[in-house]
Amino acid sequence: MAKRRRRAVSWAAALSASVLLVTACSGDPRGGDEDVVLIGVSLPLTGDFSEPGKGVQRGYEAWVESVNRDGGLLGRRVELKILDDQSAADRVVQDYEALIALHEVDLVFGPFSTRLVIPSARVAEEYGMLFVEPAGAANEVFEQGFENLFYAAPAIANDHYDHLADHILSLPEDERPQTVAVASMDDPFAQATAYGLRDRLREGGLEIVVDEEYPPNTTDFSSIAAKINASGADMVVGGTQYQDAVNIIVQLQQLDYQPKLAAFSTAPTNPEFSAAIGSRTEGIVSPTGYTPDAPFPSNVEFVELYQEMFGTPPAEDEANAFTTGQVVAAAVEAVGCAEQGECQERLVDWLHENEVETIVGPLSWDGQGRPEGAHLIQQYVDGEIRIVLPGETREAEFLYPKPEW
Amino acid sequence: MDGTLLFQSLVLGVLLGGLYAILAAGLTLYFGVMRVVMIAHAAFVILAAYLAWWFHRETGLDPLFSMVLTVPLFFVIGVLIQRVLITRLRPATLTMMSVLLTFAIALLIEGLLGLFWSGTQRRVQLSYSGDNFEFFGARIAVVKLIAFGLAVLSLALLFLLMKKTRFGLALRATIQHREAAQLVGIRTDWVAGIGFGIGLATAAIGGTALSLDATIYPSLHWSWIGPLMAIIVVGGLGSIPGTAIAALVLGVGQSLLQVELGTTWAQTLFYVALFLTLMLRPQGFFGGRLAQRF
Repeated sequence: MAKRRRRAVSWAAALSASVLLVTACSGDPRGGDEDVVLIGVSLPLTGDFSEPGKGVQRGYEAWVESVNRDGGLLGRRVELKILDDQSAADRVVQDYEALIALHEVDLVFGPFSTRLVIPSARVAEEYGMLFVEPAGAANEVFEQGFENLFYAAPAIANDHYDHLADHILSLPEDERPQTVAVASMDDPFAQATAYGLRDRLREGGLEIVVDEEYPPNTTDFSSIAAKINASGADMVVGGTQYQDAVNIIVQLQQLDYQPKLAAFSTAPTNPEFSAAIGSRTEGIVSPTGYTPDAPFPSNVEFVELYQEMFGTPPAEDEANAFTTGQVVAAAVEAVGCAEQGECQERLVDWLHENEVETIVGPLSWDGQGRPEGAHLIQQYVDGEIRIVLPGETREAEFLYPKPEW
Repeated sequence: MDGTLLFQSLVLGVLLGGLYAILAAGLTLYFGVMRVVMIAHAAFVILAAYLAWWFHRETGLDPLFSMVLTVPLFFVIGVLIQRVLITRLRPATLTMMSVLLTFAIALLIEGLLGLFWSGTQRRVQLSYSGDNFEFFGARIAVVKLIAFGLAVLSLALLFLLMKKTRFGLALRATIQHREAAQLVGIRTDWVAGIGFGIGLATAAIGGTALSLDATIYPSLHWSWIGPLMAIIVVGGLGSIPGTAIAALVLGVGQSLLQVELGTTWAQTLFYVALFLTLMLRPQGFFGGRLAQRF
């Protein structure tokens, strides 16, 4: 036993030595190339978040391409230095320290997912770096006291449904839905979206008749559906990811439950959604932070460039990454510097005071870095998902009450 | 809780129990025949569901027809796994080592599913996925009834096979006492191989039934294997009727508890039942007098 343990220790030692060696070799401190703006990012290119991680990478690459085509930042070429954090929070900290101290990057962009945003934001804060991030919508990100952090998307999770809540509460009392059933996955993001809407509707005088929560590994949704059906609620709200939304909707249809309004987060904006449910999606509502069809001027260019580079339309992760680039670029161009040190503070101050035009619309932030907008509300109308709220960006009339599914 | 909701939950619970029963039947068979803990069973169920989804996408035919291919295929794979892999494990540590071996198979299947069809969550799009009819005030979904019917039919067939055929006799003899079975001339190696094949064939049926009414993704099997293991322990390892009864009881229990306590607590029912069984009646509550403790 003792021998085996000793061998294990020596293995571990050898392994960490080789890791150190590899890290040392791969470090290439900048060769004093002053014509380049070097931007450091750590992304989960392998592991749990590798799918969205690669999406964020594509978004950053599209932004670099677009900036360099227009002559770069402050006349300097932009280059990305991307490290793979393997979706691990300890790696992400190490990566940002290496990017800032060893690679001496001029700017940093955020990683993917709330779990990795918080530890990496802390590193950026310690080094006084501006930290604009494309993911991490959950409330806890903004409760850490970060001063350099900005979330580059229209809204935090709690505010995703704001336009829908505004619209419902603007209806005359007798036309509004009176009762609401809520079911949400036990997940900070999914809950924040559903509970944001639930709380506003409750304050507006609607009655919450079902309020269910289920763990992420739930396989059977029929009882939740039975409960919602039995309550006869006018409106159903799902704080959902993907499979749970699809399952709940099908189970509700099997019980012949016909609400006047059905709102589910995330799933309905996924292209696989209509492949799963078919024609019975009519009237389903979902908030979205991004749609390739959004009419903002820079978005049209972005979608074109992205199509040209990758052959598919961009999704939300790609768009948020591109937005991150736009936000940082706006600050850099306005302040006129991009380097470590005192410049970063000026960039931060500028962003706190100004509004930035992006592919997801104009963005501005509160003191903790919360964006002050809301998500667009999309609805399946005539078999296609379209923007219905708010009024000025809508592509179709909001259907209420929704047709039977 | 009002009466309609109670009855609706009861109906849903029975339908759910039927699905649990067909998904767990193979597991109890492997353990009964060979003392093998087959962690990969749920992975094969998901594989069958994927094959049904793929079959439907490629041919446009009803996913139920995919069983014509998957059931024989899974039977052969099962026989091969037993003859080629499981028999190489040392008898003294068979149960423990089979956990490791089949864990590896589960990971392999999950990885291959991701490789071929990506991690995107899939669902068979059926024209009748939302169809339902009224049954004394409760709603019964057609897809759930089909899955339940499949479960009842295949379990009945399995039961007849075990009780009424010569092969069933040999299989039961092998379950009861391997050496004694060998002494009377039963080729227990082959009986075990075929038993394993039948177990895996039930995974093909269960997976197809599951695909009718579930959204599937490669790692879904981890959500299933725990409850299924609990069911076969409660039912008495090696007993198919025991498994069917335990599946029904736990399915109905889960469904009713979900209404009262919510989904999070209802899921613990399986593990509470598992603990109680191991404490009070380690041989299982129904049948299962032949099984040993782990």
